[in-house]
Amino acid sequence: MSQRGVWQLQKLIVSYCNWGGSSRGVRAFMESELPSFKEANPQLEVVTELNRGQHPYLKGLYKNKNERVVSVMNMTPEEVQLCATRLRNSLGRKVVKLKTRHVTKHPSVQGTWTTSTQI
Amino acid sequence: MANRRCIKTLTQQLYKSKLHPNPPSSSTSLQHLRTLTQFPNLPKSHHTFPNPNFISPLTDFTTYRHYSSDQHDNSDVSEDDDSEYDDDDDLESNVANCAVKKEYSQEEKETEAAAIGYKVIGQLQRSDQVFKAYEPVFAVIQIGAHQFKVSNGDCIYTEKLKFCQVNDKLILNKVLMLGSKAQTMIGRPVLPEAAVHAVVEEHALDAKVIIFKKKRRKNYRRTKGHRQELTKLRITDIQGIEKPEMPIPSPAKKVEKAAVTA
Repeated sequence: MSQRGVWQLQKLIVSYCNWGGSSRGVRAFMESELPSFKEANPQLEVVTELNRGQHPYLKGLYKNKNERVVSVMNMTPEEVQLCATRLRNSLGRKVVKLKTRHVTKHPSVQGTWTTSTQI
Repeated sequence: MANRRCIKTLTQQLYKSKLHPNPPSSSTSLQHLRTLTQFPNLPKSHHTFPNPNFISPLTDFTTYRHYSSDQHDNSDVSEDDDSEYDDDDDLESNVANCAVKKEYSQEEKETEAAAIGYKVIGQLQRSDQVFKAYEPVFAVIQIGAHQFKVSNGDCIYTEKLKFCQVNDKLILNKVLMLGSKAQTMIGRPVLPEAAVHAVVEEHALDAKVIIFKKKRRKNYRRTKGHRQELTKLRITDIQGIEKPEMPIPSPAKKVEKAAVTA
């Protein structure tokens, strides 16, 4: 995702284990789809980290210093790619319920209506 | 109600007796169950409906009764089996989304996008100076089933727009109303030569909503989590109305004042 044209995801860390079965999907993803993902996103720094004995996860670091960790344990390579694409597509903002679907700094152009407005 | 029931059974009998030139075969009926976008042709010559746009459960001819005494052609039976298996395979081969993945051609994408109310132009380039200062002009836009009153620089969260990537430029063409300080243009229902430019900022999931169902004293309790997929658009430009002239920017004013005093 990008705010005013600036990509917000700075770094993506793919942490996996080379022995465990829960990392099987991530290992297949790293062989098959990770190179094309890297090429499609040249602005993104993708790092693979070996973490033996632990379940795999994807960690995204955003420009607002926010960290989003998504566990990819026991997922197929396609699902892992979907998770990675979702991390890339989102802003680093906190996942809270939206107050309004329309965010604006200038709510009125012709003047806010009051009971004494005449057309 | 008796009239409705009579008509439904009559049309069912019509199709069963194969007097109608184009009876909907059972393979097509299964397709209708899956994708409710098309309705079968109504037998206009035999019955007159009160309203040509009248669509009700009555017009869904997919549920007719199968009797064991019915004569089936072998081809029909095999078509049923194949189409059922194909649908099941499609559903089983899904990944996380639980939606049938359809390969859209470029024209289909454009027509569907135009139906929702937007058009993709292309990716935002670094050289584009798209994000301007605020202009006191508003537009009322429709995207899908939702309408928004937008101005330059606003952000809008809509349902996920399928055919656009992050950092895409869009033209939203369903503009219902334009307005500025001095002028208002009302569309009937749409203004033909108005366009609103927007940029896709993000495709993200909303926070999780828990759908909890309970019937008391009946031992029934269900919990379901749901995250809606949203798209955030930033409105950059509104075209189709005369914008008021901008006031002179302040750095120029300061330079003039310095020149005057010096």
